[in-house]
Amino acid sequence: MSTRRLVATELRLMLRDPMTLTFVLVFPVVTMLIIGGSFGTSPDEAFPVDPTQWYVASYFTVVIGATGLIMLPVHLAAYRERGVLRRFAAAGFSRWSFALAELVLGLAAVAVAGVVLLAVAAPVYGVPVPDQPLRVLAGVLLGSVAFVGIGVLLGTVLPSARSAQALGMLLFFPSFLLGVGGPPPAVLSPALRDLSEVLPLALVTEAVRDPWLGLGSATGPLVVVGLGAVVALALAARRTAL
Amino acid sequence: MTPASLSPPPDDLVVDVHGLRKTYGDRTVVDDLDLQVRAGEVVGLIGANGAGKTTTVECLQGLRRPDGGTVRVLGLDPHRDTQRLRAMVGSQLQDSALPDRLRVGEAVALFARERSGRGEELLERFGLQHRRRSAFATLSGGERQRLFLVLALLDRPRLVVLDELTQGLDPAARREVWGAVARLRDEGTTVLLVTHEIEEAEALCGRVVAMRAGRVLDTGTPAELVARHAGQVRVSFTLPAAVDVAGLAALPGVTGVERAGGTVTVSGRRTTVAHTGAWLVRRGDVPTDLDVQTASLEAALLHLLEDAA
Repeated sequence: MSTRRLVATELRLMLRDPMTLTFVLVFPVVTMLIIGGSFGTSPDEAFPVDPTQWYVASYFTVVIGATGLIMLPVHLAAYRERGVLRRFAAAGFSRWSFALAELVLGLAAVAVAGVVLLAVAAPVYGVPVPDQPLRVLAGVLLGSVAFVGIGVLLGTVLPSARSAQALGMLLFFPSFLLGVGGPPPAVLSPALRDLSEVLPLALVTEAVRDPWLGLGSATGPLVVVGLGAVVALALAARRTAL
Repeated sequence: MTPASLSPPPDDLVVDVHGLRKTYGDRTVVDDLDLQVRAGEVVGLIGANGAGKTTTVECLQGLRRPDGGTVRVLGLDPHRDTQRLRAMVGSQLQDSALPDRLRVGEAVALFARERSGRGEELLERFGLQHRRRSAFATLSGGERQRLFLVLALLDRPRLVVLDELTQGLDPAARREVWGAVARLRDEGTTVLLVTHEIEEAEALCGRVVAMRAGRVLDTGTPAELVARHAGQVRVSFTLPAAVDVAGLAALPGVTGVERAGGTVTVSGRRTTVAHTGAWLVRRGDVPTDLDVQTASLEAALLHLLEDAA
């Protein structure tokens, strides 16, 4: 009962404060429009498929990364900094209610921003039809849960909203540029390409993009992302237990 | 903690703490602290910043785990029976807040365990009914603290813990919040009030526990602490030089009489005031500038803290 009230309150507050969502909503759309239009529409040695399709499928993960590495850590660190979390704890909300509320909040943010991204992409570049829709869905879902978990964890560890923002940017941008929304892996140096293959956000991208564009099933990355989701969620729930 | 060593608490014992110890790293913040609060009491935990007051109440609220001693609140262990206890303890925390855009009415709905008219009743009682649709960020300091009081009282708690309730408030807002706590006291609610403001403790508390460096220095009613630690009362007035004041020294409770120029100062216990007044009236020579410097709780606590240093 108290969990439902907390979830409803958090969602209502997110709607009431659209600035919280700005980065998650705007950054992926703007960068997708710029980068997606920079490489033409023909596959070449760098892109195995139409580059615009490549980036539309890749940028769904940018939404996940922006939610988990920036929006949630800043939101939670601000709560912690101002004593809102202590306030909830002392009021006796059930032990896991806050972790659950943040999971719902994070997934809702990904869903809303993801729909906006595809709605903008559709008339400009078109949205590719997923080759393996269930695999894509599994990648999106597990990737979202993993990054929401990471976001909640960061938010409960970092001392202030400002530090959460600084660290979030630092974690987000290299992940974004390597293997997600930046140059295609084929043009990266071997060292950077190796790095891009093990970055968590790049693994989520692979688990989503490959089955979407018919480039493979990406079972390995999906399993790793799934394990990451379980670990991140368990740690986040432990940290936020009120 | 050794629950087996606890004797059954008397029925009216709401807080029962023995030998509480809490350390952060190698710093001992609460050291062998005993504290008892009985039902219906308003007890003030008073001391300078860093005395260990907040840590003590956080252990009572189950927000921190004690390193030693036994803590029972309403007969329960706050660390093990956290959720059960939180339904019975209303808390106002130091330096806490609500989300900026949460409205007053929504906060009440969020924090109430049961749907009832209690929230509305409390909003009205604490003068916040007209702010029901206002966001937390738009409330004044006094309104925020009154809202925290409302939230703390929603579930008809058996104990209310108020930590630095009036910190940072202007004098008018402070009086406003004191009025609200006084109403709680008059209704018989058990309150543990953490403060470093002596005036606040004096205005609201039936009993005061003075703390320093994590230990209890003394406990008693404000009057008892004043009597024990505050030193003497001083009565000053002007009399013509020709008047003999030797008789004043023989009055009950008087410990000293000084004369400097035309001013006479009589020092002694509290009874000195009445006896000196009666002596002056008997003489038929009542001074117009009689001034009494009574011992205050502030003086008592300052002496107490200085002695302990």
